[in-house]
Amino acid sequence: MLTVNELHASVEEKEILKGINLQVNPGEVHAIMGPNGSGKSTLSTVIAGHEDYEVEKGNILFDGEDLAELDAEQRAHKGIFLSFQYPVEIPGVTVTNFIKTAINASRKAQGLEDMPANEMLKKIREKAALLEIDSKFLSRSLNEGFSGGEKKRNEIFQLAMLEPKLAILDETDSGLDIDALKIVANGVNKLKNKDNAVVVITHYQRLLDYIVPDYVHVLYNGRIVKSGTKELAHELEAKGYDWIKQELA
Amino acid sequence: MELKEKMLSSFMVLEQELDLSSPVHDIRSESLKTFEEKGFPTNKLEAWKYTSIAKLLKNDYSLFPKKETTIELKDVKKYFLYEIDSYKVVFIDGIYSPFLSDTTHDGIDVCLLSAALSKPKYKKIIDKFFNQVADKEENLTALNTSFAKEGAYIYIPKSVVAEKPIQIIHFSTGEQGDFMLQPRSLVVAEENAQVQIIERHQSLAEHAVWTNAVTEIFADKNAIVDYYKIQNDRHDASLVDNTYIAQQSSSNVKVHTFSFGGKLTRNNLNFYQKGEHIDSTMKGITIIEDQQHVDHYTLVNHEQPNCESHQDYKGIYSDKAVGVFNGKIYVDQIAQKTNAFQQNNNILLDDKATINTKPQLEIFADDVKCSHGCTIGQLDEDALFYLRTRGIPKKEAKGLLTYAFANNVLESVAIPALKTRINKLIAMKLGVETGYDL
Amino acid sequence: MAYTEEELKKELETKEYEYGFYTDIESDTLPIGLNEDIVRAISKRKHEPEWMTQWRLEAFAAWKQMEEPEWANVHYKKPDFQAISYYSAPKKKDKYESLDEVDPELLETFNKLGISIDEQKKLAGVAVDIVMDSVSVATTFRDTLAEKGIIFCSISEAIKDYPELVKKYIGSVIPIKDNFYAALNSAVFSDGSFCYIPKGVRCPMELSTYFRINQAGTGQFERTLVIADEGSYVSYLEGCTAPSRDENQLHAACVELIALDDAEIKYSTVQNWFPGDKEGKGGVFNFVTKRGICHTNAKISWTQVETGSAVTWKYPSCILKGDNSIGEFYSIAVTNNYQQADTGTKMVHIGKNTRSTIISKGISAGKSQNSYRGLVQVNPKAKNARNFSQCDSLLMGNDCGAHTFPYIEARNNSAQIEHEATTSKIGEDQIFYCNQRGIDTEKAIALIVNGFSKEVLNKLPMEFAVEAQKLLEISLEGSVG
Repeated sequence: MLTVNELHASVEEKEILKGINLQVNPGEVHAIMGPNGSGKSTLSTVIAGHEDYEVEKGNILFDGEDLAELDAEQRAHKGIFLSFQYPVEIPGVTVTNFIKTAINASRKAQGLEDMPANEMLKKIREKAALLEIDSKFLSRSLNEGFSGGEKKRNEIFQLAMLEPKLAILDETDSGLDIDALKIVANGVNKLKNKDNAVVVITHYQRLLDYIVPDYVHVLYNGRIVKSGTKELAHELEAKGYDWIKQELA
Repeated sequence: MELKEKMLSSFMVLEQELDLSSPVHDIRSESLKTFEEKGFPTNKLEAWKYTSIAKLLKNDYSLFPKKETTIELKDVKKYFLYEIDSYKVVFIDGIYSPFLSDTTHDGIDVCLLSAALSKPKYKKIIDKFFNQVADKEENLTALNTSFAKEGAYIYIPKSVVAEKPIQIIHFSTGEQGDFMLQPRSLVVAEENAQVQIIERHQSLAEHAVWTNAVTEIFADKNAIVDYYKIQNDRHDASLVDNTYIAQQSSSNVKVHTFSFGGKLTRNNLNFYQKGEHIDSTMKGITIIEDQQHVDHYTLVNHEQPNCESHQDYKGIYSDKAVGVFNGKIYVDQIAQKTNAFQQNNNILLDDKATINTKPQLEIFADDVKCSHGCTIGQLDEDALFYLRTRGIPKKEAKGLLTYAFANNVLESVAIPALKTRINKLIAMKLGVETGYDL
Repeated sequence: MAYTEEELKKELETKEYEYGFYTDIESDTLPIGLNEDIVRAISKRKHEPEWMTQWRLEAFAAWKQMEEPEWANVHYKKPDFQAISYYSAPKKKDKYESLDEVDPELLETFNKLGISIDEQKKLAGVAVDIVMDSVSVATTFRDTLAEKGIIFCSISEAIKDYPELVKKYIGSVIPIKDNFYAALNSAVFSDGSFCYIPKGVRCPMELSTYFRINQAGTGQFERTLVIADEGSYVSYLEGCTAPSRDENQLHAACVELIALDDAEIKYSTVQNWFPGDKEGKGGVFNFVTKRGICHTNAKISWTQVETGSAVTWKYPSCILKGDNSIGEFYSIAVTNNYQQADTGTKMVHIGKNTRSTIISKGISAGKSQNSYRGLVQVNPKAKNARNFSQCDSLLMGNDCGAHTFPYIEARNNSAQIEHEATTSKIGEDQIFYCNQRGIDTEKAIALIVNGFSKEVLNKLPMEFAVEAQKLLEISLEGSVG
């Protein structure tokens, strides 16, 4: 589904990613771990198509198609979803209005009519229930005045509504207490099926207790320096990132 | 004779004492022309919409002291911040008082403008700075410039930190009858220099006095200037205080204005940011009563990117007092990443008190954060009740709350003795007993 | 490649005025220029009674002594008041008994405007009075309204049919000498709408007026007078368009609202006069005086969406004379290209316990200048007056300006006034976030602008809110619509 080949990327002429290779297949859960500043968030942002990030070398294929020429919204229409580490506030735009606009934009791109209002409403109710979201929450301005936990839950709610093929969760666990973490993880697990895939980006192993990865990759200094199964995450947690640094040195 | 005519015809009297060949004299003559064209400002000017100086124009002021007057230190000691060691530049009826002053040329210059204007060794600085940032088109500034001959001259060279604060005090004795003063000061802080200045205008006896002051301040790169204005004059003294400040990159200038006294006070405070990463702060507390009138007219001219400005003015008005706040933030098209904040909060304690406030934003750059907030209101009734249930009588409870309302402006006062003094003044003004841990 | 700021700017600039068509209807136009004879001629042509003629002449005499105001933050070449024709009526009309008699081309005009009268009749139950080049051409639903005793007609008819009401109230809120443009309007106004809601009546439908300048070289000077008698309620809508022309056209209207005891008037405007082309050529000068007076317990609410005009000078105001009266002002002003707007409100608190709310949202793009100017005045006897004002500005691009000039005058110590203002831009991070959810940049901007304006959009009647949102998109986005 997602193939990253020898990807080099920079921001403001500073090279952050220095040759990333990654293969994600339908039905798989991948975890990308690494110390702060290793390039985890950059990788997710580059895949999502932020124009401030320059791809210097290599490419990203999604279902075999090169993403290089596609805008962020076109990538979204293809089924790539990024759950932001720091979701953005948009005053005056309600959660409902925003998700409606997003869904219909994707449908339009696929040549479909707008989703009928009652169908939309039904889906919103269903997904809100899944994530234990109160309906009052849906009429609030997007992320404005949301707590850290509410923002993250809202991201997963949008994930549930948009039903992407590939979900990239960037530090979704940061700022979440254990109860909120369980709800979010539970939501992700219920949405998971054999046709879609999840990439979890995290600093800590804790989230991986709830969203169990098939593969774990360690990102360090712009490269994936180690890959393995979920045991690698435990090892990392126990030994710390210095262990990787030492091993490399 | 109308005051304007009198000013114009008196210019020749002034000229008799001056070196007419000096380039400064050309500046004076030019300014007189401007004043002749423009005259005194009237309410028709947007900038003077809420403050009329018409009443001030009716007095028959003496313009030059008829005789030199001496005063005893013990009689005026209370007007100094005497608790701390400081340089002092003191004027009595516009004439320098060597007896009360304590000037220096040791590493820094703290002396008289008249000396700086006439002695060759200051020429370079005078040419570079005198009447450069002052608004040449502004009526009263032009008037001051044309009559400018005396005031404080402060020069802090590169990387020098003035080791003690400088106090500038202008006394008016009443010996001259109704009197008009045109003090002119120049403050230059070179790169990385630091200085603290406290300024005060004080009338000592019953007579009408109108001070039309101009101060120019230059803060070069990385310089820090801390300027405090104490306005607690008699109720027959009026002041128009024009301050112009030019700042270079990474400099930090703070001006605190404490307006408690006077009949009519107008503060024109203008900041011009000429470099990047500049910080400009202006704060004020106004507490007035009777028929006092205080007008704060501020301008921050954000001309360059990445600068900040902070304004915080608090006003408390009793009886028939009138307060005016007119704050303008101007952000030039190139001044991206400007952060400009302005806050003006007012409490009207009596029926007949008035506040006119006009905060303005003029923004021509898109990537900026600018805000202004303004409130007019009363003391919080719930808080008042709470204090009374704790046994504090109503009057004191009110004083205490009003005090609390004004007090946070003092946080940025960097001279502890001054902070204490202002604290006491506020407490006195509000009738709050000390002992509430002020 | 993704949509860059540059591309966005370009697209904003190339937005063309949607309603810039010219209706080819024969019209009957007075010679250009202004003097006493012209004022008399206007009055005569409209078969006005002598008192009205005298009133106009008095206004004209006052106007001659006045000077065009210069304090607003707008810069333009002053109109030559002698080069304008002060009267232009679509010809071959006398009075339309029903819509069938209205010139089909005129109806087509309304269809182009998206305000098909039939549609509106069916869908919204809106009664419409249309003023085109100064003369009122159609008032629908008059019979339905008459059953309730509501009068909704052109002001010319009202002068003839209800002289007592007109005489009593015209000029009572905006005196003829109030300002330069109001005096001019009082002298030469050619038509406009009149509305009277009797005591205790709740007007069952939205009343609506559409204004359109059609003829070249004409000025439009309409006069609106709305009187809500004790305990009544009315919601009034006003829409404006003009064809694209190279020269500037002048629009100087007066709107007077009178809310008697316990009455409520909601007055909503969607102003979409031709803003000029992207070089700043042409466009309407919109110099409008709008003011309402609230008696005891009365409420007046102004809502405006201002997207058009080359220059706007407009301050819908409330005189809160009666105790417990309420004034509200909700405004969205969008400027693009070379547009200039200086708009806001005046809230004059005179009665006790009076309350006012001001919400102003300014959006500047292109090379435009957008100013909020407002006055909150609490007079000595206005005990317990309350005001809340919020003025937010959104800047798009770096060649435009956003300015805020609030004047606050408090002369009573029980006043509580709060004023807040902010200036911000649309964040690139907000746009990227929307992009990532599949929303393209253009739509993202529309969404963000709508969110920014929401508090005001919510105040508009439903059918107007949709139109207003659409207008915002058109004004800022170019291809939408």
